[in-house]
Amino acid sequence: MHGEYKMPGGKLVVVDLALRDGRFEGVRLSGDFFLEPDAALPAINAALEGQPADAGDDALVAAIDAALPAGTTMYGISSAAIVVALRRALHEGAAA
Amino acid sequence: MSRSDWRAHDWRLIHAAPQPPLLHMALDEALLDAVGSGRRQPTLRLWEWAAPAVVIGRFQSLRNEVDGDAAQRHGIEVVRRISGGGAMFIEPGNTITYSIYTPLAMVEGLSFQESYALMDSWVLEALRELGIEAWYQPLNDIASNAGKIGGAAQTRRGGALLHHVTMAYDIDAAKMLDVLRIGREKLSDKGTASAAKRVDPLRSQTGLPREVVVERMLATFRRLHGLTDDQLRDHELAQAQALVRDKFGTAAWLADVP
Repeated sequence: MHGEYKMPGGKLVVVDLALRDGRFEGVRLSGDFFLEPDAALPAINAALEGQPADAGDDALVAAIDAALPAGTTMYGISSAAIVVALRRALHEGAAA
Repeated sequence: MSRSDWRAHDWRLIHAAPQPPLLHMALDEALLDAVGSGRRQPTLRLWEWAAPAVVIGRFQSLRNEVDGDAAQRHGIEVVRRISGGGAMFIEPGNTITYSIYTPLAMVEGLSFQESYALMDSWVLEALRELGIEAWYQPLNDIASNAGKIGGAAQTRRGGALLHHVTMAYDIDAAKMLDVLRIGREKLSDKGTASAAKRVDPLRSQTGLPREVVVERMLATFRRLHGLTDDQLRDHELAQAQALVRDKFGTAAWLADVP
């Protein structure tokens, strides 16, 4: 499943993932945003991996925030925007 | 530590003969590290391209951004750079690309938007002198009334800032759209359905040969901030070549975000 979200005044945030036994699997964040250090990308993917599909937005945002390396900076992307892209992927997957 | 001014630095210019795309990727890392560690003075590097390329941003999905078959058919190499931001479509002579490597002290205390505005300021003045009213358009574009002229990307590491910019001089929009997958979501706030129309190149706006535009730009930088002609050191080139072999030229790096 594939979801895209362009944050107003931000950059494109893309999430690809699958669902397995009601949990996120193979979560991959990508896009033309700015994120430092770049190790934050796999940390975000790992934070979302295995989360239950019925987790609330707040819980997912908190999971992302808790996984970010100290001093992470985001430009054109936010934890909330990642969750929007993820929701869109799930909706698209549900509709397909 | 207080913020340093452009004039506080002894700026060096590197403007080498055309180099292959992978070497450009590696030179950005090698020279950023050199400036960060104090082995090199703050530097402006003007890129000359030896071959066509698509340069994707650090976090872009290779598969989502590039039509690999079309790239191969056109003989276009796909490479990944160290900074975030979007894909660039490069053909030799069609873009003006440069990198600025400077100590982080220059952007101390500035927001991201302020640091982009600061690093773009000299080129906006250069464009003005060429008769083009252009401005920094957050988050990272350089725009004019006629459309987007270019885009910037920054990355920070080891005490140094990399700010690099690609501006369109001329563009084969049809080929670009053949190779890049530009999604509808991306265009949703751009006010036009045509990605080709989003870019208005310097050639049509200035009527000047690319070399002249480059010379004028460098003259503006030199006048505003000072600029001493320099060249790549042998060890810098050797380090960049090693980075091509061990990092930028590997499938693991290119497909790091598959």
